[in-house]
Amino acid sequence: MTSLSDSFTQNQATHWDIFCAVVDNYGDIGVTWRLAKQLAAEYQIDINLWVDDLQSFSHILPELDCELSKQRFFGVNILQWNSPLDIPYIPGSLLIEAFACELPSSVIDIIESQHKAHQTIEPNSSLANNVSKPPVWINLEYLSAEDWVDGCHGLPSMQASGIKKYFYFPGFSHHSGGLICEENLFNQRDSWQSDDKNKLALFKRLGLTGIDVNDYVISVFSYETDALTALCQYWINAAQSEVNTQKIHALIPMGKSLHSIISLLGVSFDTIKATQRFSMGNLTIHILPMTDQTEFDRLLWSCDFNIVRGEDSFLRAQWAAKPFIWHIYPQEDDYHLVKLQAFVNIYSLKLENDIANIWSKTNFAFNQQDTNVVEHWQQLISAQLPLQQHAKDWPVDAKKDADLASRLVEFVKTS
Amino acid sequence: MKTAHELRPGNVIMLDGSPWVVQKTETTRSGRNAAIVKMKLKHVLQDSTTETTFKGDDKMEDIILERLACTYSYYADPMYVFMDAEYNQYDVEADNLGDAAAYIVDGMEEECSVTFYEGKAISVELPVTIVREVTYTEPAARGDTSGKVMKPATITGGGTVTVAEFVKIGDMIEIDTRTNEFKKRV
Repeated sequence: MTSLSDSFTQNQATHWDIFCAVVDNYGDIGVTWRLAKQLAAEYQIDINLWVDDLQSFSHILPELDCELSKQRFFGVNILQWNSPLDIPYIPGSLLIEAFACELPSSVIDIIESQHKAHQTIEPNSSLANNVSKPPVWINLEYLSAEDWVDGCHGLPSMQASGIKKYFYFPGFSHHSGGLICEENLFNQRDSWQSDDKNKLALFKRLGLTGIDVNDYVISVFSYETDALTALCQYWINAAQSEVNTQKIHALIPMGKSLHSIISLLGVSFDTIKATQRFSMGNLTIHILPMTDQTEFDRLLWSCDFNIVRGEDSFLRAQWAAKPFIWHIYPQEDDYHLVKLQAFVNIYSLKLENDIANIWSKTNFAFNQQDTNVVEHWQQLISAQLPLQQHAKDWPVDAKKDADLASRLVEFVKTS
Repeated sequence: MKTAHELRPGNVIMLDGSPWVVQKTETTRSGRNAAIVKMKLKHVLQDSTTETTFKGDDKMEDIILERLACTYSYYADPMYVFMDAEYNQYDVEADNLGDAAAYIVDGMEEECSVTFYEGKAISVELPVTIVREVTYTEPAARGDTSGKVMKPATITGGGTVTVAEFVKIGDMIEIDTRTNEFKKRV
């Protein structure tokens, strides 16, 4: 850890501030932490990441000291976001409110004052260079594959004070804000996946025992769903059926997924501990310990199939180049199914129709708590070779020519 | 104050000290149920338009300008002519109607609210719900797995609305003019 004093006195006009309110444990903070690290590492931008819940953050950054209001890791200043702010906000060149979180009123007052002062200066006046511009203000939105994203990405939101806030939409098209993907990620993944020793070493490091190199390993990071219960019941009895009689291992962290299968384990939730394992028929359930983001990526790279949720793990599962099910965050009126359909449509563009159909049905069944997911799973496994190949091809198609960080840097330059 | 979600074509809002007429609104849903409202706005005093985006719960000052209840009378390119109860006529530029123009049809009886700024009719606000006939829509489609099967339909006047799968040509449907959403078959 390095001292913060330098960080706050250098480049005060050029640093970027990211405000993140933790809503769902690891989703919001997962995305903003990855983005902050990448911007610091690849663009040498001085980043202040303001977080309102360091406790949740510490699960994916174990080195974090929850008692410290200022600390620095991976070149990023991590600041406790208290209400009211007890660390003074100093405007930089960019201000991000992640996922439409409500910025502290003191921050808005400061940038509005800056805007007013800047507006009153004539462009050719000698004062023009002395009055700093307010930061570019961005609302970093949720990732969606829906068509409307392209039409809304980058549009200004006119505030009553006259200052503009821009809506920045991550997305899969050239016209969107792109997807978070570190420069060397695919090379690191390929290198990791080229040697089975890496995955076995990882499983050992995580305390997961009894996994053979040829076993079928599934990571599960979902919300509660009866579909998961049904799948586990099926996997228990899956010997002599598909997957060439491979043993199946489901790697499940403490949390929402585990609630769905607790009835199968015959123990109470409170007694379960990380690294514990439960063998039932052909299935072994391993309780995953929490890991940092680097190890989580490696875990996804190491499994044969990933069940992921929300936004951050959803994207990382795509970058893992392995088949996956996406358990999307549920919304009112089942609107999440519209979002799921939009992603299924683009993910399936280069898949053969019958495989696309099976993959779609599996995802919808999982999201709709449908225990018929088992039927679709059986079909999905029989199509696993083309599905695996598609999963390998997809990341390059999805990332296109530029990732989110590089598009964001360009956006700020031109705004 | 109104939230962005409550604004609809014809409303006038104050931004950065200037009045803007809302010409078009398009509401979509972001993550965690949050609404995003994309709007087309026209500056009341200048001949300029802009596209902008708001969070659904962003609050903004809607200006209470002089308003009169009127009914649609006729179209004289490029003006829509409205008439009040005392048979006074008011011209509104077609551009200023924005999305509302799709619901203006000859013989319509719904009462509209014409807004004036410095004596000039600048916009028209439709009733919140309006009933129109479906003039064309495809037969019910099958195979959609989202569970929210909708399809496009053309209504009297030529506008398009996304309707439920069961709606047929000739049906009268209720539409929410704030969101252009199909509400029900009547």
